[in-house]
Amino acid sequence: MNASPRKLTLDEWDDRHEQLRRDGLREPTYGGPLRRHVVRDRNFRLQHLQFDNSPAALRLWNFLLTENQRLHQARANGDKLVGAMKDLGTVPVMAYALPSMRAFYPDGAWWTPCLMECGDMLLQQAETMGLDSSFCPVRAMLPAFEHGGHFPRPDLLVCSAGAICDDFSAIAQRLEHLGHPILWWEMPRRRQPDSGETACALPGGLSAPKIQVDCVRAELGRVGQALGELAGKHLDDVWLADGIRAANRVRRTLESLRRTVYAAPAAALPALEMLVAEMLAIHFCSDREESIAVLDGLLAEAQSRARRNQFAVSADAARIFWVNPVADLRAMNLLEEIGGRICGTDYMFTHALDLIPEDLPPLEALARAALADPMVGPASDRAARIVRECRANGAEALVVSRIPGASHCAREGEIILQFARREIGIPAIELEISPVCDAMRTGLRSRLQALVEIARDRRPA
Amino acid sequence: MDVFLTSPWIPPEWVRAHGLQPRGIWAAENLQRLPCPLSAGVCAFAESAVRFAQSRAESAAVFSTACDQMRRAFDAAIFRGQRQAFLFNLPATWQTAAAGQILRSELERLGQFLLAMGGRAPSPEQLWLEMLQAGRTRKLLLESARASSSRGFAEAVARFHWDGSFSPPPPAAPADQIPLALVGGPFLASHWKWLDALEAAGGRVALDATEMGELSLAPPLESETVAKDPFDTLFRGCLDNTIGVFQRPNARLYSWLKPRLASRQARGIVLWHFTGCDLWRAEAPTLRETFGLPVLLLEACAEPGAAPRDLNRLQAFVETLR
Repeated sequence: MNASPRKLTLDEWDDRHEQLRRDGLREPTYGGPLRRHVVRDRNFRLQHLQFDNSPAALRLWNFLLTENQRLHQARANGDKLVGAMKDLGTVPVMAYALPSMRAFYPDGAWWTPCLMECGDMLLQQAETMGLDSSFCPVRAMLPAFEHGGHFPRPDLLVCSAGAICDDFSAIAQRLEHLGHPILWWEMPRRRQPDSGETACALPGGLSAPKIQVDCVRAELGRVGQALGELAGKHLDDVWLADGIRAANRVRRTLESLRRTVYAAPAAALPALEMLVAEMLAIHFCSDREESIAVLDGLLAEAQSRARRNQFAVSADAARIFWVNPVADLRAMNLLEEIGGRICGTDYMFTHALDLIPEDLPPLEALARAALADPMVGPASDRAARIVRECRANGAEALVVSRIPGASHCAREGEIILQFARREIGIPAIELEISPVCDAMRTGLRSRLQALVEIARDRRPA
Repeated sequence: MDVFLTSPWIPPEWVRAHGLQPRGIWAAENLQRLPCPLSAGVCAFAESAVRFAQSRAESAAVFSTACDQMRRAFDAAIFRGQRQAFLFNLPATWQTAAAGQILRSELERLGQFLLAMGGRAPSPEQLWLEMLQAGRTRKLLLESARASSSRGFAEAVARFHWDGSFSPPPPAAPADQIPLALVGGPFLASHWKWLDALEAAGGRVALDATEMGELSLAPPLESETVAKDPFDTLFRGCLDNTIGVFQRPNARLYSWLKPRLASRQARGIVLWHFTGCDLWRAEAPTLRETFGLPVLLLEACAEPGAAPRDLNRLQAFVETLR
């Protein structure tokens, strides 16, 4: 079944899937041809994407695109569903520590307009609900809640408050006004400890004063209590520690995958599949055990390709560090079409990639992990990590991709770009990618092309 | 030394007790004198605060985390070399001990910052005196709110935020004007001409519920008898009386608005917000649904002053309520 790495269109994947089946491909229950996600779920964007041709990538896509169905099935099987919002990586670790409980991010609905090429009308419906295009595409979550048809309504909604994006905070508040009660928990804006304050080390080489860690630990304790009440069980330290170990298994595999693909001279997997794979870290795509299997498959494929010296993107491609997730998945294809490749990322949840400490009391460890969120601290902390990883992976250029309407994007791009230019002197640009970026594709292509050309020109002769 | 506060929820009496002069940055007449070039999505108020603070190297500035824009404006200020700046972490929740501990520690940290800026450690008596004085002025302002002219009240509150003083606002001219509530974000000196325009159009602000209006005037102290621990009283006052759109849930804001909208007989709501302010902008449908009043969104942009198009909208809004 091993074939040389190649990018396939959806049509080509139809044939490839048939061939794989004839060759004895065994798929999980959610497996099948990718085409069905267009026919059945109207994910029209798939028709305009280029996919990796490996069975591991097929499994990844099927896993991603069946999440809502799997959640409905879990509900039917009696599982409790938790809608975690905004913290991107902490509350799900707690929820999955309990039996028969699943957590997902309704925030994930922000990709629905892209996948359905706005045929879902979620953005238009959000506008009629008072949330126009001045808000981030995550506003798609609101009509998805109200009108159903996407993810099931969770049994419990949990949202961090405080140092979070204004647009998300406003949208979540609107959701609560519409009758969806939310358990809000405080996330203070991370800061350096003052002199005389006790400092706590956080994942990612960060630190925070003990009072902030204590606050978040207490708040997560409240969340844990609510989760326990929903499950009818006490979420104790033993379960939490098990949950942390399982989450770390996902994170370790993902770290190996990122190192195999990003740090290597050429990319064994394409940027698009890597973006989706990284997303598994935040809530395991609603199935923790299966997400481990999916990532194991991708890692095995990447390592096998690397051993065979076969790559999805050539070694000549300009090494790009990418900041923020793209609202339109097609942008990742575009980067590779014009001769770029991803050599490092900060998709806004680097704290979900770092290992959660296993040598601390579980809630303390989770509090520290949550506080390491790049979005709750100063932009300079985020920029410093980006620069560190750019150096480590030999980035030749930096792209800060703006999310339309997102409050954090108004400022942080300027700081990250200036910081990177000052510290490592690589070419850097900021660009905005809308949920369906076809109309601005020419402009995007030109800007990315210019960046890639400059990056290549700077190579030593 | 002047200490410019970017949020009305940072208690000025705490700054004054340190022997420094608190000044609500929004009350500065020249805060937004010139349009500032903004990258997409940047709040003009937050950017103006950064520039204003930068231009006064001899002063200090206190930013708050009440919104993402201001939180990140602090990042920008620091990145641009501002050294005498402090970021006050204002919790979005208030119902838990954890939120209270964060707020208390932020007040203490602010105190340390003020000492580093050359302030003096306040005695409990000094702090209490400042709290009493501020409380009495707020009380006078609150008492004058109903009967004052729209602009006169805004100016009087701004004066309080600028130097702590009270000057009685002129009474409202008796006229058959439509009572409206002005609800929303920072309403700056450069925006006061909106109030003239509103009155000229036949409306008046019966309730100034902008962040720097009545919303910023905490109720006076329950007792003027010196408290055992004035700092604790200050902290509890902040915890209990901060009412903002940024709080989660923002039920306090609606509980505060409800009786006031009724008692002032407001017939419509003008929702005022800066471009890029998601927190206020998103409240428009909820305000409509909750209070059953028509809501007009007015957007303050990077350009100071009132745009003819928006003036026209305001006039039409008042006319429809006649």
